[in-house]
Amino acid sequence: MPAVDETVERVREIDVDKYKYGFSTDIEMVKAPRGLSEEIVRFISEKKGEPDWMLEWRLEAYRRWLTMSEPSWANVHYPKIDFQELYYYAAPKSMDKPKSLDEVDPELLATYEKLGIPLSEQKILAGVEDAEYETASGAPGVAVDAVFDSVSVVTTFKKELAKAGVIFCSISEAIREHPELVRKYLGSVVPTSDNFYATLNSAVFSDGSFVYVPEGVRCPMELSTYFRINEKQTGQFERTLIIADKGAYVSYLEGCTAPMRDENQLHAAVVELVALDDAEIKYSTVQNWYPGDAEGKGGVYNFVTKRGDCRGRNSKISWTQVETGSAITWKYPSCILRGDNSRGEFYSVAISNGYQQIDSGTKMVHLGKNTSSRIISKGISAGNSNNTYRGLVSAHRKATNARNFTCCDSLLIGDKCGAHTVPYLEAKNATAIFEHEATTSKISDDQMFYCLQRGLSEEEAVALIVNGFVRDVLQHLPMEFMAETQRLIGISLEGSVG
Amino acid sequence: MDLPVKQLRSKAEQDLLDVFSAVNEALPGAENKTVAKIRSDALADYASVGLPHRRVEAWKYTDLRSQMPEAFPLVQASGRAISDAEIETALSPRIAGIDAYRLVVAEGEFRPELSDVTALKEKGAELHSLAETLEHLPEELKPLLAESGYQRSGFEVAPTATKQIPDPIIALNKALMTGGVILRLKQGAALDKPVHLINLDGEGEPSASVTRAIVVLEKGTSLDLIESYASLGGRGLQRNAMTQIVLGESAAIEHSKLQLEDAEAMHLANLIVTMGAEARYNGFQYSLGARLSRNDVRVLFEGEGGTMSFNGAALLKDSQHCDTTMVVEHMVPHCTSRELYKAVLDGDSRGVFQAKVIVAPDAQKTDGKQMGQALLLSQGAEFDTKPELEIFADDVVCGHGATSGQIDEDLLFYLEARGIPEPTARALLIQAFVGEALEQIEDEPVREALTAATADWLGVAFD
Repeated sequence: MPAVDETVERVREIDVDKYKYGFSTDIEMVKAPRGLSEEIVRFISEKKGEPDWMLEWRLEAYRRWLTMSEPSWANVHYPKIDFQELYYYAAPKSMDKPKSLDEVDPELLATYEKLGIPLSEQKILAGVEDAEYETASGAPGVAVDAVFDSVSVVTTFKKELAKAGVIFCSISEAIREHPELVRKYLGSVVPTSDNFYATLNSAVFSDGSFVYVPEGVRCPMELSTYFRINEKQTGQFERTLIIADKGAYVSYLEGCTAPMRDENQLHAAVVELVALDDAEIKYSTVQNWYPGDAEGKGGVYNFVTKRGDCRGRNSKISWTQVETGSAITWKYPSCILRGDNSRGEFYSVAISNGYQQIDSGTKMVHLGKNTSSRIISKGISAGNSNNTYRGLVSAHRKATNARNFTCCDSLLIGDKCGAHTVPYLEAKNATAIFEHEATTSKISDDQMFYCLQRGLSEEEAVALIVNGFVRDVLQHLPMEFMAETQRLIGISLEGSVG
Repeated sequence: MDLPVKQLRSKAEQDLLDVFSAVNEALPGAENKTVAKIRSDALADYASVGLPHRRVEAWKYTDLRSQMPEAFPLVQASGRAISDAEIETALSPRIAGIDAYRLVVAEGEFRPELSDVTALKEKGAELHSLAETLEHLPEELKPLLAESGYQRSGFEVAPTATKQIPDPIIALNKALMTGGVILRLKQGAALDKPVHLINLDGEGEPSASVTRAIVVLEKGTSLDLIESYASLGGRGLQRNAMTQIVLGESAAIEHSKLQLEDAEAMHLANLIVTMGAEARYNGFQYSLGARLSRNDVRVLFEGEGGTMSFNGAALLKDSQHCDTTMVVEHMVPHCTSRELYKAVLDGDSRGVFQAKVIVAPDAQKTDGKQMGQALLLSQGAEFDTKPELEIFADDVVCGHGATSGQIDEDLLFYLEARGIPEPTARALLIQAFVGEALEQIEDEPVREALTAATADWLGVAFD
């Protein structure tokens, strides 16, 4: 059990200050004036050098947003957000123009270095040779799009990817360089009117990643985006759009961190995935935004709309998420199973400690014939946190032979936390077969006794049992992130034992 | 587009307010200030929220506001004699034939002359007509009558959720209740037979019946209670029935509720069970009738060591809609709850099962399990379920499951391969599916009667 040893090892290593990504980078920034107005939307659009249609799209969303009110149905509680107190655009001054890697501010590169994300391709390649980074498939490493506050700093391996025909760039660049693709797909999965935060995002989104994998291409490497919030009082509104054309395959991973700050930072992203006939998209998230301190002060509000559209026949979208950060998480990565024989998957580990609140889950909407979906959700609550799984599985009238299996398990560590399960099942078709099961329990005394009796310490025993508990999900992460994630789980639960 | 939205009342919502003003002064207890206050407060609660609709989370799948075009006037009691034969027709001979002490509530009034009052009193049961009690309300009954159905726990951790909106169906029951029974078993009282509470309404012109039953079991007593609801073949019935069961320490109840109304009826029912220490509740709800039925069940564990088992079956066809929504609140440690619900859905019917288990921060060692299952027999049928767990204590074992599907073709093939004709094979499988829930009924005559009623519904006779 090397994984367990490692977890325990790492837990021991950590100081009291356990959030190791909490530093901030001192760098000169260009900011939009505080607050939100039509002018700010125009300002962002102009900064990005966007065409008129994009500005119009944003303004329409902004006007709609003004008529909407914040959703209150989720099981999360926080003081009302003053949307006029935030900065909606912040970019390192040196990033006024898009740059090649050589021209990027060394301070920024150092920041990513510190986060463990080397952006220089040389280093990444060097890393590949390192046994730790070797992938099971033997794929040559990972291409990274690094987003710093409101802008994409750099995208690596663009040339290599271009050889295969894959477009991987920031969304701002895509709007300029590939307007036909963006216009066709942007907002087609998450319409601007979808919900309060998605509408806000549509109006003010500043950057994010764009991926297009052409017909029949299997993307030669893992793609990934690393999001970093740095500036005070800024909201990060990123937008990601991934399109897998007929028969294409892509695996994408996002990671996120933020400095430790007393105030709450807002992160409202929208992710749209489109899978055409026979295409497959695998989307993994390791979310480690700053969760706030031990008293629940500060931390990121993570209000995210993620949705995948299995538009084509035999298409497949799979979401894997590991949620350990954020003061509040509000996200439901979903699959619209429109194409016949399409498949949606959702694997989630959500760990809450301290005063974190998580309300997360998925929606599987079965529209096409012979569609299937699978949901595995593992929630772990510790400290004073609350962890809610909220999910919807529905089969519409014409979705004959829809099939769903859902399993959501919760583990409680400590007597001050809460674990909640709110699944909705709606079967409008007799041939649909839905199965749902959920359990909530604490680590059983028997399991603990067994481990202790074999000489493990209490801490080791908990780490072993928790790692076993989440194993089903971790297996679906790309290999190189599995080890990292196991370590993260150990850290997140630190201080919850005993 | 930016015009302020004015809350308009639907016709039924306004009708209900009109009904109240029309009958207010003639309702039982009108002279009693406490009762009058309970009624007027309740009406204000109702008026503040109106009828529930799909935007109200607990009514997401049952949009009462749109499904209730108008509200009928309260039934006018004629006091006419109701023969045994009529009761038999309304309930089916099998169910009417169950050997029990009868209590009859008809046309919204308790009917002592049709009930076994003397026999029950001889056995030590205390029995009152609700209408008479309302005239001189004893202090200890006040909290029971004023019950609003609010969630009791779960706010310690989520304090902003403390503002609860009134339950309009309970509020309407409080405002408009005309009659019913209050049954109390004092310590030491024991009955040798079940008590069968028969509710008969819906004769002649369309009318509404608003009744309440209160059952109090004191320490160590036990009761076998059958509640049946049926209609008398009129032109429309809107029922609002509320049952409150209070179980003292170590009290035990076997409770079966049979809903057998005609296909046009609307049945809105609330059941609130409070569990004392070591109390035991074993309940079954059988839903066969009514076009629209909604069963709200709340079980509150107030004393340690309680055991609750709630089971149910709904057999629906055509455009019937049956919604069973329950909340089980574990407020104290060492309690056990079990729920098993089965829906068989034919035609364009719709079944809804929502069950929420709340475990309060101190309710350690809670053991809670729930299961909701549906068998869809036709393309037009729909099943919606929401099994919820809300857990604030760590040393618990809770789980839920939900399934929805059609008859397993393999099982069908197996039976057919053994020479059983298809319709019989199907019926057998459905009977087995429902049977799993029926088996939980401990009262044998009731279990047998319901097993037979299920076979009747399936149109098959089993030997």
